[in-house]
Amino acid sequence: MIELVESIIIHGAITSGMYALLAVGFSMIYGVTEITNLTHGCLFMIGSYVYFFFATPYGGIQLDPFLALLIAGVSVAILASVIYRLSLDPVVEDPLSVMVVTLSLAMILQESTILIFRSYRRRVPSIWEGALEMLGKEDFLVIGSVKTTYSRVLSALFALVLFAVLLIFIERTKIGRAMRALSQDREVAMLMGTNVKRLSMLAMAISALFAAVAGVLITSATGGGVTYPQIWTGPLFMAFAIVVLGGLGSIKGAFVGSFIFGYIENIFTLGIDPFMSEFMNVPKGATLSTAVIMGTMLVVLIIRPKGLFGKRVELED
Amino acid sequence: MATTYLRRFYSSFTAHIVDIPPRLLALLLTLLLAFLPVAGISRTMLLILTTANITAIFAASWDLLVGRTGQISLGHALFFGVGTYGTGMLFYWLRWPLWITIPLSLLFGAGVAVIIGLPCLRVKGHYLALVTLAFPIILTGLILYFRDYTLGDFGIWYLPEFFPFLTYHEQHIAEYYFTLLLLAVSGIILYKIANSKTGFVLVSILDDELASKASGIDVTKYKLMTFVISGVFATLAGSVNTHLIVSGHVASLASLGIALSFLVIAYTIFGGIGTIYGPIVGVYVLVILDRYVLTQLLHVGSSWRFISYSALVIAFLILWRGRGLARFVTDKLEDFEEARDIDERGPRIWKTYKKKEKE
Repeated sequence: MIELVESIIIHGAITSGMYALLAVGFSMIYGVTEITNLTHGCLFMIGSYVYFFFATPYGGIQLDPFLALLIAGVSVAILASVIYRLSLDPVVEDPLSVMVVTLSLAMILQESTILIFRSYRRRVPSIWEGALEMLGKEDFLVIGSVKTTYSRVLSALFALVLFAVLLIFIERTKIGRAMRALSQDREVAMLMGTNVKRLSMLAMAISALFAAVAGVLITSATGGGVTYPQIWTGPLFMAFAIVVLGGLGSIKGAFVGSFIFGYIENIFTLGIDPFMSEFMNVPKGATLSTAVIMGTMLVVLIIRPKGLFGKRVELED
Repeated sequence: MATTYLRRFYSSFTAHIVDIPPRLLALLLTLLLAFLPVAGISRTMLLILTTANITAIFAASWDLLVGRTGQISLGHALFFGVGTYGTGMLFYWLRWPLWITIPLSLLFGAGVAVIIGLPCLRVKGHYLALVTLAFPIILTGLILYFRDYTLGDFGIWYLPEFFPFLTYHEQHIAEYYFTLLLLAVSGIILYKIANSKTGFVLVSILDDELASKASGIDVTKYKLMTFVISGVFATLAGSVNTHLIVSGHVASLASLGIALSFLVIAYTIFGGIGTIYGPIVGVYVLVILDRYVLTQLLHVGSSWRFISYSALVIAFLILWRGRGLARFVTDKLEDFEEARDIDERGPRIWKTYKKKEKE
């Protein structure tokens, strides 16, 4: 029993740190442009695929994992800003159109990925594999009674560092201040001379960058280390649930929410029937954890619609 | 006596149908669809059109919910899946005939709509869309978890067919007519609801919820009502679809897939959101284009089909602002209508009576 508790604590911390990275982008793009970005999960998926292309022998060129991570992040950021400019900017006023367009884009990205990479499951190597090899260390770590890997722990720490970098960027720089102003009051920020279009594009690019990095870290460190084209719904709902719990547009909320949901997920995955089910290569509890997370999110929406740290939300006028 | 009724029927028909070109067109298209099997089209084409009939019911139900009240549901496949699994599991565990399981699964659909509608009424816009998107995923997770009862991702096979007493080829034709009849009935019901007084209340909620609340409209009641009506028709589509030849008599997890939720949006936006007849037209055009032109004639892979659908939706939203094909056609047709007095445009029956009274 104590082993179970220990493993939930450690694995929960690892996944939560990475989920924070995933959710903060979703929260940010909502805060700045009021876009509910349903392609966020797809950007996550594309990020993991670009990384897979450059970091493994599949693409013919095997680069350093960190370089591949950088390429993945930057290319997805460029892709997202192009997407924003071409298809989201004309409809940004209407929430229904935004959601339908982003859902359509998600389908386009999913199907394009199937066309390019086929729909097999692809093994995503960890970004730390090369570094650990150089140090001559076995990728194996025991904390208390829990067996885990160095690459998982380091990935979680890396995610937290990136999260902190983003936090500093938003709190300290001029652009970050402009973004906060936009999310507080759009019209006044426009009156003060912020270039909304350019800022929205930048916010989209940053959010996509973090989604892609989260994609690489999460797919390589959790769930068997694989990625596949239909993976995007899971991260999208996770990001959404986290952001609803923490409050839409709130970065502190995204951090706290990701820890709450990261632990809930691990409690269900590890706590219920930890044996692999007969036919699928996933723990049986994992199929239930999505349902539980969504249920929790519904309860939060009903009891406290603005979330833990959110500003006022006009759900019912 | 009989001639009076006949004359009344005829004048009513001319006033309500013939004088209004869009309705005449709709009637002619329905007649065309009804005569297609007699003309001897191929079995494949019959299957495609049967799919179109079922999908049209599903799309029209989505349109009533989203196009009329503005409650954005991105996971309408939930109801389709409830219909599929409702009738499938009742058959699997109880071996009841489909004439009992389908109405029962409609009841399930209504129940699910109420259970989901109540929390959904608390949320709006972005929240509502994502919450509804989540529900099919939740149900998929539950079906996979309780695989001992639901058979998980195997699906429930060998469901009964509608017309077991007919030959295989006759079954195709019978199912086509059956689904066409279902589409006609549910389409008319949905259209009448959307254009009745209730329908205008729904549009008022879409336009300004606060104002309609201030006018003394019980917004909650109407929203929940739309949720239930829309859910029941979507469930009907799902439960009937499982028993058709075209779906292979299987209840599978594909009925809860995000692709289905997305396709219904694509059809509706292509046809014209908020019109009820728009999605039906959109379904026919796109399904025939998809299943016949792209698949049968050009042999295009499913990925390219999805990509072209999505690109079409985005282009329609950005360029036409979601006005849609059907609206475009009816606008053109209404230009042909002669401009007449409002008095004359009314039902002619009343006019003949007035004349008689004068005489």
